[in-house]
Amino acid sequence: MLVDAFLELLNLWVLVAALVGIVSGIIIGAIPGLGPTMAIALLIPVTFSMQPIPAIILLLGVYQGAIFGGSISAVLLNVPGTPSSAATAIDGFAMARRGEGGRALRFALYASVVGNIFSCLVLMALAEPLARFALDFGPAEMAMLMLFALLVIVLFGGGSKLDALIMVLVGACAGIVGLDPISGTPRFTFGSFAFENGFQLIPVLIGLFAMSDVLLQAFDREPLVGDVEVPPLKSSAVRFIELWRMRMTLFLSSLIGTFVGILPGIGSTVPAFMSYSLARSRSADPDAFGRGAPEGVAAPEAANNAVTGGALVPTLALGIPGDAVTAVILGAFMLHGLAPGPFLFRDHGLEVYAIFEALLLSSIPTVLLGLMFFRVAIHVTRIQPRHLLPAITILAIFGAFSVNNSLFDVWVMLGAGVLGFLFRRAGFPLPPLLIGLILGAPFEQSLRQALLTSGGGYGIFVGSPITIGLVALTVLSLAISLFFSLRKPRL
Amino acid sequence: MRYTRRSSLALLAGLAITPLAAVAQQDYPTRPITLVVPYGAGGTTDISARQMATMAEKILGQPIVVENQPGASGTNAMRSVASAEPDGYTLIATTSSPSFVTPALRDVGYDTLADFIPILNYSGPFHGVVVPADSPYDTLDALIEGAKSGAVTYGTAGAMGGAHLAFASVAKETGAMLQHVPFDGASKATAAVLGGHVDAALVPAYRDLVQDGQLRLLGVLDGTNDPEFPDAPTLKEAGLAAEFPSIVGIMAPAGTDPAIIAKLESAFTEVASSDGFKTFMTDLSQPVRIMSGEDLAATIEENLAAYREIAKDLGN
Repeated sequence: MLVDAFLELLNLWVLVAALVGIVSGIIIGAIPGLGPTMAIALLIPVTFSMQPIPAIILLLGVYQGAIFGGSISAVLLNVPGTPSSAATAIDGFAMARRGEGGRALRFALYASVVGNIFSCLVLMALAEPLARFALDFGPAEMAMLMLFALLVIVLFGGGSKLDALIMVLVGACAGIVGLDPISGTPRFTFGSFAFENGFQLIPVLIGLFAMSDVLLQAFDREPLVGDVEVPPLKSSAVRFIELWRMRMTLFLSSLIGTFVGILPGIGSTVPAFMSYSLARSRSADPDAFGRGAPEGVAAPEAANNAVTGGALVPTLALGIPGDAVTAVILGAFMLHGLAPGPFLFRDHGLEVYAIFEALLLSSIPTVLLGLMFFRVAIHVTRIQPRHLLPAITILAIFGAFSVNNSLFDVWVMLGAGVLGFLFRRAGFPLPPLLIGLILGAPFEQSLRQALLTSGGGYGIFVGSPITIGLVALTVLSLAISLFFSLRKPRL
Repeated sequence: MRYTRRSSLALLAGLAITPLAAVAQQDYPTRPITLVVPYGAGGTTDISARQMATMAEKILGQPIVVENQPGASGTNAMRSVASAEPDGYTLIATTSSPSFVTPALRDVGYDTLADFIPILNYSGPFHGVVVPADSPYDTLDALIEGAKSGAVTYGTAGAMGGAHLAFASVAKETGAMLQHVPFDGASKATAAVLGGHVDAALVPAYRDLVQDGQLRLLGVLDGTNDPEFPDAPTLKEAGLAAEFPSIVGIMAPAGTDPAIIAKLESAFTEVASSDGFKTFMTDLSQPVRIMSGEDLAATIEENLAAYREIAKDLGN
């Protein structure tokens, strides 16, 4: 299987897809204010007509490239492209001001490769066994798992819990529109046929993450990046021994990233900061952190790259995405006929393993292209997002239309864009909304399916070892969260 | 009707060529034909329609462009083709659900009998009644008898689908307590029966799992036996007055010139009966089931009436 999957990769188009993905990812990620989620959302429609393997590889390449690209603007300009590279910016920018920008970027690049390889190996080890185990996940188990996932994003997603709760509920409510999953009758369609299908994920996603950005930047008087003087980039090198010395930091950060990534709904910001604090507390010289410590750059980068592999585990095995990016990738999988779940590995094992191997091997072009792009990237970071707004708008409209060849989806995309703009302007986070939209409808369906099979008895939700375990986890997370908020002195 | 740019263009083109129409049908087709698929790219309906299109291009001498218009269980695409210009350049490859199941349940904005001319039927996956290998039920009778003493749950690909309605009428007729549990697609229903979360499932694509011994096939919902499992009875053979015939066929908007329909029927039938197409469909685990346009129309009419009756009983 592994060899067959590898042979699938020996194809010119796969190579082209990987290279195009990584390069466009680095460029989009390096532009201040544009992040990986938007990059992927905009590029999904481009992959419609491609074969599944190159299509997914292109998208994963974009993701990896954009994460690294994001660290370029974080290090050189102190403008993190994504919230997750905010931790990188702390020490990265300090190093850049000392004239060590090149070294900081090299540390970021190598650390992200380590994180990626580690999480990819975990993914390969865990996804298939978990998928086999997925047959034991009946409606009751799925309902409890999704409840746990929704709770996790509210409690541990960072930021205000109330904000996250409101956003999850907005998403779940939007998921009600369409045909009732149990009785098959239309709900909240206002007699319109177009609404019967509900709000499609991809138009909503493009609206929330690309269109809202356009509106946000168009209506913001303050430019995101002023005329920052880019610090001089001296030629530099990172020796292997320097990386070897921080092997424990890299390992622990990758571990945190991967396993926090497996927990649905948290995303990559939390693990990035977690591993940053861990690296600081384990360091012999904690005071160096914040003033340009290489480990302060390496730790969060390893963690936030490791999240992808981890988040793909529940995404592929159970169809439950871990964060906004894997939600987008899940959408791409479904679009290409690779339905996650117990049959994914049976029916599409070849494609899935080819994708895993590509994810692993793409570290090589990422390093090469990353090193090549340092100097180019400096020019890219000078691009103001406003110059790209028209192009993003056109891509967004084109992309939303091409999903179903339907004009309705374009209106959905524009509506989601305006709503996303208003929410972001008001300070609400968008990822919980997306997770609420993705998990809301299946949660309702599983809950009602479970009650149908049990004849209406609620005992089914504690009727198997899996459900009992999940209920215990849910109660435990609530308790932990409550404990910390009570212990925290209130102002 | 919705005015999209495409439909306005089609209308303009239609107006422009009206005087020439009488001549035009002689040398039809003179430009590419669009074959709409009401589901997403990559599904079995899409893959088989694309193969059909590729092979029929050679006979008709014009490209056949497959266009996916997924959404709302296929009714969106049906509605758009129903209102397309009936010039033979817009066709649809469709299935049971948007042809006679959903239209029997609620207003879908088209009437399959009045708005379409069926050209031919070329496939249709058999739907089986399957139970886990360790299930206490060995036959359909045993399943129904079991459901008389306690509720038996069965999963299907979705609420108000043909499989659900067929079993709903079985339940009504026999008084069995058959509890329906709708899933989001047939593969999830199959996974649920494999995991023992439902007692039975009514799903297509059961062949490998049954041959593997993971599932037991009690019967098929179709009017005829699955040639690969001749021992599995149809519902009628098991003494139950219900069936869910599965169709995959090509239709044109009503009003299309009969000469064009005849030309298309002969071209598509030639493809469907070829060995190349049969091999392709076998690899896809799909049967080739050829039915003429007239027979397809009769099947749709008959089932539309039957499903309206069942829907009435369900209180819809």
